[in-house]
Amino acid sequence: MLHIKNLSKDLGEFVLRDVSLDIERGEYIVIIGPTGAGKTILLETIAGIYPPDSGTIILDGRDITGLPPRERNICVVYQDYMLFPHLSVEENIGFGLVSRKMPKDEIKKRVADAAALLSIDHLLHRSPETLSGGEQQRTSIARAIVMDPVLLLLDEPLSALDGQTREMLRKELRRLHSLYKITVVHVTHNFEEVFSLADRVAVMNDGDVVQCGHPDEVFRKPNCEFIANFTGVENIFSGTCIQQDGASAITVDGLTIISGTCKGDGEVCASVRPEDILISRESIKSSARNSFKGTITDIENNGVVIKVTADAGIPLVSVLTRQGYDEMQLREGDEVYLTFKASAVHIF
Amino acid sequence: MKNLRNSWLKYATISVGVLLAVFIIILLALIVTKPTPEGLIASITSKEIHFAITLSLLTSLVSTFLCILIGVPAAYALARYNFTGKNMVNALLDMPLALPPLVAGLGLLLFFGTTSFGRGLAEMGLVFVFTPLGIITAQFFVNIPFMLRIMRSTFESISPRYENVAKTLGCSDAQALWRVTLPMSAAGFFAGSVITWAKGIGEFGAALLLAGAIKWKTETLPIALFLNMSCGNLDMAISAATILIIISVVALYIFERYGGASRF
Repeated sequence: MLHIKNLSKDLGEFVLRDVSLDIERGEYIVIIGPTGAGKTILLETIAGIYPPDSGTIILDGRDITGLPPRERNICVVYQDYMLFPHLSVEENIGFGLVSRKMPKDEIKKRVADAAALLSIDHLLHRSPETLSGGEQQRTSIARAIVMDPVLLLLDEPLSALDGQTREMLRKELRRLHSLYKITVVHVTHNFEEVFSLADRVAVMNDGDVVQCGHPDEVFRKPNCEFIANFTGVENIFSGTCIQQDGASAITVDGLTIISGTCKGDGEVCASVRPEDILISRESIKSSARNSFKGTITDIENNGVVIKVTADAGIPLVSVLTRQGYDEMQLREGDEVYLTFKASAVHIF
Repeated sequence: MKNLRNSWLKYATISVGVLLAVFIIILLALIVTKPTPEGLIASITSKEIHFAITLSLLTSLVSTFLCILIGVPAAYALARYNFTGKNMVNALLDMPLALPPLVAGLGLLLFFGTTSFGRGLAEMGLVFVFTPLGIITAQFFVNIPFMLRIMRSTFESISPRYENVAKTLGCSDAQALWRVTLPMSAAGFFAGSVITWAKGIGEFGAALLLAGAIKWKTETLPIALFLNMSCGNLDMAISAATILIIISVVALYIFERYGGASRF
């Protein structure tokens, strides 16, 4: 539906470099990346706020690259709401319909419907400044939804909200999306939003989309070191990969790790997610092809989960639940076995 | 020890501030209480002062309107867009603020009196030298930086994202400005207009050089004050001054009350 091809834009402080991205109708796509990765400028270029330096944006087969924002019917919701302070909640929601010169009673009806949908119908006469953060963001979402946009762009819509409100509004976004199948592009730096909302996730860094795919795929199989680091994969190694009987063996500092996914011989990077590594006191017999003996060097208590680092020639990080940790009574300096499957080793 | 020193500094600085305020009050009180109340009322109701009030109001309103007409778009451009030479333009537009009004007036006089452009205007009937038109021009030139600076800081304080949102909601650039940014800058606009108008009423130096001090012709309130003072007509001079004080106080109040965020 939306095809972004080789889009570049240089705003000095923020840059887009040759971004290509395809978005399907009805899809909920989350763009994640560190601050300054160019996420907001990508959204604003899609919306038509900035003309790109090069590249094209095709919407439903129509080249909209040079079109002004008002002819695109793409709506934006910003992190800090951007409600017009001189207008009431009702006038804010109806703002775009007034631009379309819709009859007054029709506007009133549609605004009431949108407000009811977002449970803010009791606030219509209020001034935006008197609303809570959650209510303000609901208003700005209503202001966008009421336009029946072909594409809804959300720029960190939940980042300014407190935990509970954020949770509620996240559910609301999911409900709205499943109800209306609106195509949504949602920018965030929050991983929970990726897993709870995204059909697909695009990771941005330094002005470009570095990987795009199903969240599980991107987080389990990051295609470069940046994503692995950014998504919080702890165990990243580089070594030499050699094909052995259909599987591949990676030699990392003298340790041989078996991987199911190595494509060829040579220097590779590999990652194993901490939750895929099993810690045990005794060596366990299983189908898992990687098992190493190591000494615990660090135990980090994060409250819900315990992160255990063991030195098995290379440092390996594993996470345990609090209950599992308490039962095993692990101490720094203890000898443990670290076991993981060949399929848990991801090569990039 | 430290406490004592702190309180010494505290009381010393507070005293300086309070003394200055007292000094200002004494000056204003001296002016207002100098003539007898009867004399003051008689002067204020005199034909000459009426003429000065009317001329002052008229010229200052027109010059304020011109300042809005030119200052608001220019301030918007300076707040929103980047262009080569922007810093230079910014500095030059502030120039009349630093320039002594007499020098500004001299420049205006040379421009309208000696250039072919000025003479061309005069031939078309637009005579600026020694006419009320000159007063308006002098007020405009000296006061445009006030309007400009206040509006620039007002526009700068409004995130361009409001306009972005408006544009995605069906507005053209101009409609976004009209429906969102201008209403949002109402307080700054009001404060800027009031201060420009009040400064316009008090404009003397530049107006003196371009429009002259001609009784019953270019006699605004400050000119009336100057003319009557020069010929020893103290009551008339003071009545003009009293009206100027009242206007200043009202303008200052409005500016402080509604100017809020906009400082210059």
